[in-house]
Amino acid sequence: MTSAKKKAAGPKASARSAAKTEKAETEQAKEIARSSKAGNKITTSSTAEYFSKNLQQVGFSSQIKATLTTLKEAVDNALDACEEHGILPEVTVVIEKLGAGSIKNSDQVRIRVEDNGPGIDPDDVPKVFGEYLASSKFGRGRCSRGQQGIGISAATTWAQLTCASGAKVTTKTKAMRKAVSCVVEVDIKHNRGVIKNRETIDWDRPNGTAVEFVFDGRVQLNGEAGLLSYLNGTTLVNPHLTLHYKVPDMELQTVERVSQEIPQVPEATEPHPHTMKLGEFIAHSHLFGRVKTGVWLKRGFSRVTDGTLQDLVKGGIKSSMLEKSVDALGEADFKSLFTAIQNLQLMAPSTKSVLSIGEESLSKSIRRLGAVDFFSVVTRKPTICDFKPVEVEVAIARLEDRSIDPDSPVQTLRFANRVPLQFDKSACAIAQALTSVNWRAYGLAQPKESFPIGPYIIAVSVVSPFIKFKNASKETIDASDELVEEIRRALIQAGQKLSKHIRREEKANELEEKIRHIEQFGPILVHGICRIVDAPDSRRTKAEEGLRKLLGRDAEVAEQELEQAHSRLEAQKEKEASRQPVVEAIEEGVLQED
Amino acid sequence: MTTKTRRSKSGDDQIPKLSKELCNRLLADLERARRPVLYATKCSLDNALYNHKVGFLTPGDKKVATELNVSSVKKMSRAIFMLEILLRNIDTGAVNTKRELYYISKGEIKHNPMLKPLDFSDQPESDATIDFICEMLECYREELNCYANDRGGQTYSQQLVVTETLPDGDQAVIDLSKLGTSPFQPKNRPQSLKLSARKKIDFCLIIESEGTANTLVANGFTKRHNCILIGAQGVPSNAVRGWTKLIQDQLSVPLYFFGDLDAYTLQNIYRTLKAGSAASLIRNSDYSAPEVRFLGVLPEDIKKYDLNDYPVKESDAAEGRALKKAADALKNDPFFQDKRNKGVAQILKWLLEHKRRCEQQAYFTVDPRDPTMPEKIIVEKIKRGNYV
Ligand SMILES: Nc1ncnc2c1ncn2[C@@H]1O[C@H](COP(=O)(O)OP(=O)(O)OP(=O)(O)O)[C@@H](O)[C@H]1O
Ligand SMILES: [Mg+2]
Repeated sequence: MTSAKKKAAGPKASARSAAKTEKAETEQAKEIARSSKAGNKITTSSTAEYFSKNLQQVGFSSQIKATLTTLKEAVDNALDACEEHGILPEVTVVIEKLGAGSIKNSDQVRIRVEDNGPGIDPDDVPKVFGEYLASSKFGRGRCSRGQQGIGISAATTWAQLTCASGAKVTTKTKAMRKAVSCVVEVDIKHNRGVIKNRETIDWDRPNGTAVEFVFDGRVQLNGEAGLLSYLNGTTLVNPHLTLHYKVPDMELQTVERVSQEIPQVPEATEPHPHTMKLGEFIAHSHLFGRVKTGVWLKRGFSRVTDGTLQDLVKGGIKSSMLEKSVDALGEADFKSLFTAIQNLQLMAPSTKSVLSIGEESLSKSIRRLGAVDFFSVVTRKPTICDFKPVEVEVAIARLEDRSIDPDSPVQTLRFANRVPLQFDKSACAIAQALTSVNWRAYGLAQPKESFPIGPYIIAVSVVSPFIKFKNASKETIDASDELVEEIRRALIQAGQKLSKHIRREEKANELEEKIRHIEQFGPILVHGICRIVDAPDSRRTKAEEGLRKLLGRDAEVAEQELEQAHSRLEAQKEKEASRQPVVEAIEEGVLQED
Repeated sequence: MTTKTRRSKSGDDQIPKLSKELCNRLLADLERARRPVLYATKCSLDNALYNHKVGFLTPGDKKVATELNVSSVKKMSRAIFMLEILLRNIDTGAVNTKRELYYISKGEIKHNPMLKPLDFSDQPESDATIDFICEMLECYREELNCYANDRGGQTYSQQLVVTETLPDGDQAVIDLSKLGTSPFQPKNRPQSLKLSARKKIDFCLIIESEGTANTLVANGFTKRHNCILIGAQGVPSNAVRGWTKLIQDQLSVPLYFFGDLDAYTLQNIYRTLKAGSAASLIRNSDYSAPEVRFLGVLPEDIKKYDLNDYPVKESDAAEGRALKKAADALKNDPFFQDKRNKGVAQILKWLLEHKRRCEQQAYFTVDPRDPTMPEKIIVEKIKRGNYV
């Protein structure tokens, strides 16, 4: 199940009701799932059966990953749901070790994620937690965290396979007086959710969802693949989130929201024809059924206009083909149509569909990661890389925590559509951009061609409705030259801003050092000289005074330098503050041009 | 601190006197809140002068100034601290190596916590402080009673007698002919040695390789010839240089250097022995023997004796560097530019042009069955004046 395929799929759904869309798209998606396996003999296997055998492809490839993925799927869903419904999210996560797991070297782990989201219609509960490819976000070309309708059902399957227990769900919508609580299991043979132990209960909140999984896994808190890294990363890129979490060996933590703004996820754009491969192009047509080919091209793609169709005809496509229903086209037709479109000059896609966290929010959010000495944030203007709209943002902070080994590489946080990426770092576009920058120029230590080192966090967020991943488990962003260059520029800007802080600090250190020097060595020097020449105390006192004056003059110079460095930094901050609206104006200008 | 004219070397009270002068000046400046500046002779080729009448490289007018400021206050404090230790040594007649001085400074600091900021973290730091003191006072380490573990080259002779005056005034007489096959190796204190000859000495031969010097002696060289034979042991140390000068000054015998034919030997070994080096500009007057002649291996010897030579590997970092330095020396080194040294400059040119080298041991190829062949060639070269 490649994500590219999934993303390409999906007609404009805004007119239809969410439920209907979900159903229709699910059916189509199953189609695709089946057709993509054409040639494989096991055509009778259900989608659920396929995934239950291939859980490693969707994030369950190890004990540690199983825990992380389960957490991730549940939290991402909570955040998506809140965002869709204009709710400021407040999420509670509880992770416990219950004892030894049934698999060797594993623990029995319980994860509970509770949100204040819209809740789920009880009729949809089995679909959401027990049916694969059931999603409201499916392939809509939006920058939502979830895309495929696989995530949470996979978590249910894992719990079921390892601990024979399904997902325990409690949910309540605004319309319900009482909450529904039940256990959902996946009917693997038929890709269906099965409800057990259903009851209605009182719940002290107007709406929300709690989901709980008990499964075999391993709890790893620290390191780049750790649960804390996921939670930290998630709070960083979601300034509007209030998060409570309780994990083993730690007190209950609360991270308050620093922004009251709910991110507006922009409307979807249709895929740009130049981003597609032939197979995706054909699969895309299946979602439209019986419409004229010309209409499909215009509606199903961005930047395809009547003018484009005329150009196609000029380029040798028979106008009769454009009049034909798209489901009547043969493979050869698709091929010639596809080639003709690839050869046309098309306008670059719109950048409207991306969203940004914003420098202001990032600035506040980064301070939630721990005490920081200083930081810098950069939000790039949305741009087009490989015909896809992208927005890159960077936040760099130096941590106050001096217990961090000063020679260890910086902590990197990578995000794709605001979801932390925690595995397979090296091939990722973000990692490649990071190592390509000369960080020494900005005051960070950096061994040749590797990550910079020191007590820093460097966070890079890439937002795009069409992120291309290197593999199905969505951990590595494909490193195309254009995207790497765009990320690199963002990093360079952030590095430049940061270096001002580092320089100032160096100056301050220098001053401190100088003053310390004067105090330490002055008396020793004078005493030594006086002993050699056998000078009386009166000369000594006078010389000490003189020396203090001399070195004091030096310190004054240093202090002046420090002040200059400081005012330069202030000037930069001011410039940025006043530039903010200007940047927005420019961005709006760009949007209007589109 | 500008001691333009070098003080006379006589008298052990010079260093304490100079030190007090220096400290007094520092103190006076400080009392007036004036910034003291210390001047030291710039020891580099661009400040080196050569006059064949003088015979060695002498310093020009260029000075390096160290002014007291926040960044040099630590360095100066350390220098004054170490100077105090050294002055005490001079006062009591105690001597130390650099390493011992490092530990002595450690001990001082241990007993006086106020000095803790001066603490040296390793010996190179205390060595640098001692060197800085030498620069300030324009003196040698040895004048501060600090002796490196360096010894004059291994010396053999059947005629030479050395009389050493010990610090306590006692005298030791060393008759080199009584040492058997053991070489004599003087400490770097030439001023306490007096040389005399039991019989007229015809020449002094300084050989680059100690091993080869040893072989010649073992084969009877010093038995057959009235001479002094010294193994120089590569780039000559202060002790080797001072010892050679002493022989030149006290015995007035012709001196010959015999070593490899390559750029490194000519510039770094022979030139240093004869005229000193740029790094030791202020010491050259006491540590060079301008009379030393270059006996070989000469380029013409290769043909004459059919010696085995081989090409210089320019890819080899060290050899490449030596060649580059040679080209540079011809352009900038006043020693090689002086007409009187045209002979050696010519050899450098030849080396640069032909990019070949020939080792001193190549004389052993001439008659492999005759172990005294190298000796015969050397003596013949001396007799015929076949040197530069
Ligand atoms: N906590 C929740 N509150 C409200 N709706 C939810 C919640 N969790 C899931 N849903 C709904 O269930 C659907 C299925 O979720 P699921 O995680 O399986 O797929 P997805 O998030 O769309 O895509 P992905 O497989 O990439 O995670 C979602 O699209 C959403 O409509
Ligand atoms: Mg999801």
